[in-house]
Amino acid sequence: MTDPEMTAEELHELARGQADLGEVRGAPAPDPVNAPMIRHWQQAMGDTNPVYLATGVAPPAMAQVWTMPGPGERPDDGSPVTDVLAALDRHGCTGVVATNCEQTYHRYARLGERLTPATRFTDLAGPKRTALGVGFFATWTVTWYAEDGAPVAEMLFRVLKFRPSETGPTTPYPLRPAVNQDTRFFWDGVEQGELRIQACADCGALRHPPGPMCPVCRSVARTHTVATGRGVLYSYVVHHHPPVPGRETPFAVGVVELQEGVRIVGNVVDCPIDKLEVGMPLRVTFRRMDDRLVLPMWTPEEA
Amino acid sequence: MPVRIEADAELPELALDLTPTLVVSTALATRDFTPVHHDPALARAQGSADIFLNILTTMGLVERFVTDWAGPRAVIERIDVRLGVPAYAGDRLSFSGAVASSEDGRVTVRVRGRVSLGDHATGTVTLRVPDDLPEEDG
Amino acid sequence: MLSGRAAIAGVGATEFSKQSGRTELRLAAEAVWAALDDAGLSPADVDGMVTYSQDANQEIAVARETGVGELTFFSRVEYGGGAACGTVAHAAMAVATGLARTVVCYRAFNERSGRRFGRPDAGLGGEPTSQGLEMSWHVPFGLVTPAAWVAMFARRYMHAFGATSEDFGRVAVTMRRHAATNPAAWFHGRPITLEEHQTSRWIAEPLHLLDCCQESDGAVALVVTSAERARDLRHPPAVVAAAAQGSGAGQMMMTSYYRDDMTGLPEMSVVARRLWEMSGLSPADVQAAILYDHFTPFVLTQLEELGFCGRGEAPGFVRDEGIGLDGRLPVNPHGGQLGEAYIHGMNGIAEAVRQLRGSAANQLAGVTNVLVTAGTGVPTSGLVLSTG
Ligand SMILES: [Zn+2]
Repeated sequence: MTDPEMTAEELHELARGQADLGEVRGAPAPDPVNAPMIRHWQQAMGDTNPVYLATGVAPPAMAQVWTMPGPGERPDDGSPVTDVLAALDRHGCTGVVATNCEQTYHRYARLGERLTPATRFTDLAGPKRTALGVGFFATWTVTWYAEDGAPVAEMLFRVLKFRPSETGPTTPYPLRPAVNQDTRFFWDGVEQGELRIQACADCGALRHPPGPMCPVCRSVARTHTVATGRGVLYSYVVHHHPPVPGRETPFAVGVVELQEGVRIVGNVVDCPIDKLEVGMPLRVTFRRMDDRLVLPMWTPEEA
Repeated sequence: MPVRIEADAELPELALDLTPTLVVSTALATRDFTPVHHDPALARAQGSADIFLNILTTMGLVERFVTDWAGPRAVIERIDVRLGVPAYAGDRLSFSGAVASSEDGRVTVRVRGRVSLGDHATGTVTLRVPDDLPEEDG
Repeated sequence: MLSGRAAIAGVGATEFSKQSGRTELRLAAEAVWAALDDAGLSPADVDGMVTYSQDANQEIAVARETGVGELTFFSRVEYGGGAACGTVAHAAMAVATGLARTVVCYRAFNERSGRRFGRPDAGLGGEPTSQGLEMSWHVPFGLVTPAAWVAMFARRYMHAFGATSEDFGRVAVTMRRHAATNPAAWFHGRPITLEEHQTSRWIAEPLHLLDCCQESDGAVALVVTSAERARDLRHPPAVVAAAAQGSGAGQMMMTSYYRDDMTGLPEMSVVARRLWEMSGLSPADVQAAILYDHFTPFVLTQLEELGFCGRGEAPGFVRDEGIGLDGRLPVNPHGGQLGEAYIHGMNGIAEAVRQLRGSAANQLAGVTNVLVTAGTGVPTSGLVLSTG
């Protein structure tokens, strides 16, 4: 909970961890399945189906109603979903919209029985570009059990947690890279919080900027390694003039020599200009410029 | 006259005016106290046009739409809903549907609930209907 | 061998301004006519044309405007200002091989009043061409201007050799002093002090405004023909004793930050080796050097790559031995691009010709060999021009 912002990869790691918890039981419903709540529900829905109260069962779509928190109560804190959604909030994906709700009813719940929910986090997908902005799809299931331990109903629920735009659609960042099949792996990597360095699949030579053919051994078999994200400032400039679209001046751009031995260009951020120094240790940070572009940047390595 | 449950048979449309009363009363009946379902000022402050239906209500209305047609003897086994645009107070929610398949008493119905902004909910409902066809209600 | 086979027989130029008020094609045509007049030739004599790939005026358009008829040779040279001496190299090759008899090289632009190279172009990284992809490792970070591209090298040079902004400033002060006494220079009569350099605003640290050359409207044209024929024309020929193009290993357009070293200009080293080898001369044999000076730091680097001093010694060379008219090596007597005009290096070649003819505004004594370089930080080119 102390990490201010996780990378996409760390989010996936957290999600895998929560999925590994398996099914997590919540608190039993505060009230047994009961006629007043059923009647209230049917009236509100305009549902005149007489079968429920006549046969002593609840409308199946009420499954979740029995275990909803009351006003002022927090949603079930023991749920494996809570941590993932909170981390997504901190990642800037504060918007939420449900996309899928799939309920299966093994039988109708009967008057007098008390249901207990159990939640299983199943999947985190993303980041993905959607009409609402870039976001992650989080999926979980809830099963409601009767007192005899048999499942009464199950639900798959999926939400999109997205990065809301401040004022309508995000202003597109104007300084866009050209990307082709030789370089796409790099930009896909930064989108996922990885700094990828091209490696020759035959001779292992590392190379940045990347290209289609190994200049050492002629191989076109390429792979990549994920850099540690640590390096030193090899040279830098502070841009003052003229104004640059999408940027506020002054800003710093550096050539960073990575631990892996290759150099890469990126902005040096979170560092006063007069503290910049050739040789200073840096670590990578990923900054989102708009819905479609993340740039790797560099921040001083804390001693 | 008995309802037809052969494939492609259409369900009678169900259209609901989404009054604030309907939005609020269904939210409370489903015990969903999230303010965007009952507090217009707060809903607007969060970027919504108005208060809007909660998902538990959408599920309930889909169920009602199908059981209104299929009758009291139908047993709902599954509701799959893909959620689309919000259903705001002041809008009108119209459900349409058709039988996708019907075999040995197990019927799958395709359902679509539309509002002025587009599809609010689309999906399928699976139900069991006893062999003797249900009577027309009332 | 190319050495001694071709010569520059004519030079011509428009005025240098901030707003020519004319189209670039008209500027090109005016400069070509001026160069032909200077050589004592007519358009009918011209059968070849060379320009920069960045020039907006096609050879056929310039030929149409100037009444030049059939062309048997035309060529474009790549990489911005790195093309400058390359145009003469191509022309000399054409003349030496018989592809053409008389070739006009030209560069014409409204670089100040039209499209300015110093303005950020967000679209630089836009297309997945090899150059667009190369730019895409830099442009997204706001590294979009030539000044900033060069400043990155300058910072490393300072770090490696303890050079200072004042070392860069001394280059600017010298160029402006030369321009002050050149009536054709934009900065004629307007010298600067080192203090003015130091207090001029930042453009891209460590570069101040006065480390960056001006932007100009104008055109320069050169007439290249065989050395033999040139001797019969109006002026003494500037013989192409050597011409070379060069790019280094791991070369990029202006962001070669990924090579072993960032303190040198390996592409200029390639050019230098070829020039000295082809001309049979050494740095001690030239009386003036026209060094491409779009930004001051690379003047220092060039002095090192061309062999006028050792690695890291240029700041001391400029300070103690001098690149002024009375210095150990007079550099850019016309004031260079910092002082005279920024015509993408073409005006420097014209100055070399004038120095050899003895007709320059700031004429040096006893000039027999002049070294000329082209754009720095880019794949580049160079010339050694000689009398007789
Ligand atoms: Zn290899």
